Amino acid sequence: MLQKSPTQLFITFTFIGLSGFGGVLPWARRTLVEQKKWLNAQEFNGLLGVCQLVPGPNIVNLAVWVGERFGGMRGAFAAVAGLMLAPMTVVILLALLYDHYGQFEQVQGMLRGISAVGVGLIAATGFKMLKEELSYLPMLIVIALSIVMATVFHLALGWVVAVTLPLALLFAWNKAK
Amino acid sequence: MIGLLGLFVKLSLFSLIAFGGVNALLPTLYDISVNQEKWIDADTFIHYFAIAQAAPGPNLLTVTLIGWNAFGLAGALLATLAVCWPSCILIFYLQRVLSNLQHIRWKKTIEYSAGALAVGLVLASAWQIAERINASWVAYALTIFSIVFVLVSRRHPLYLIGLGALLGLLGFI
Repeated sequence: MLQKSPTQLFITFTFIGLSGFGGVLPWARRTLVEQKKWLNAQEFNGLLGVCQLVPGPNIVNLAVWVGERFGGMRGAFAAVAGLMLAPMTVVILLALLYDHYGQFEQVQGMLRGISAVGVGLIAATGFKMLKEELSYLPMLIVIALSIVMATVFHLALGWVVAVTLPLALLFAWNKAK
Repeated sequence: MIGLLGLFVKLSLFSLIAFGGVNALLPTLYDISVNQEKWIDADTFIHYFAIAQAAPGPNLLTVTLIGWNAFGLAGALLATLAVCWPSCILIFYLQRVLSNLQHIRWKKTIEYSAGALAVGLVLASAWQIAERINASWVAYALTIFSIVFVLVSRRHPLYLIGLGALLGLLGFI
């Protein structure tokens, strides 16, 4: 199997992390599948599916997996460090600027504008994911139910999952036929 | 010291329930850090969310900034670590279990149900966060425009972030 040095993995994932304006996942795909061709499209989708199974930041999961596969334990550490270090530095520098200039109305207005867009980006990701679910319509009941429980009835996450999971498993079992 | 430990433990637990990623559970993160632990106030939370969105890098950087706000550099590092380590370990073992699982139908059942759950959580989260941070109808209009833009256009989301910043700078939002 193809092997990459920790340095290669670190540099590749630094690049992915720093390009990821408004979400890193599209850039990870572009870099790993289209440019470097470390993975083919099929492998990438399968990998992403599993990364979404696990709670926590999906993109970090992806870095662990790719790093481990191409460079073992050291590769996994190198990939995650590459993904996180540069963006963390940038964001902390921005927070320092915010400490100095955050009280100005113009700055607060800019941040309100950006967060309104940010919410839209999250929702758009949700709608893109929803497209994949249209191939099996009963699953939409599960999705609608979880949204209504969380937003209209303000139920805690544990309840939402406890109620929807059995139904999701049942539908998924049928879908998987 | 106790505070830092609390930050690490709470955020580790948060990470363990964050199906669909950190942004899918942003309302929960808000409750923990603003209402329960008071690591950050409501306005600063919203501003840091905006900074993390505008900066390059993973969405979980909101968490980095919450740690930064409460305990400085050590807080930033520990908060980031806390939100990453549980899933790193889980994925490492899950990968092995799943690739050894022979029963294809079970494998697909697990993938499909987790996928559907993640979709529901992401959409519900966007809704709840919008209710908290959008203070005017212009903000809602901008959110809806952003959704449509991403779904129909192939242009980079950075344009949207620029537009949001500009509208805010001019005092529309």
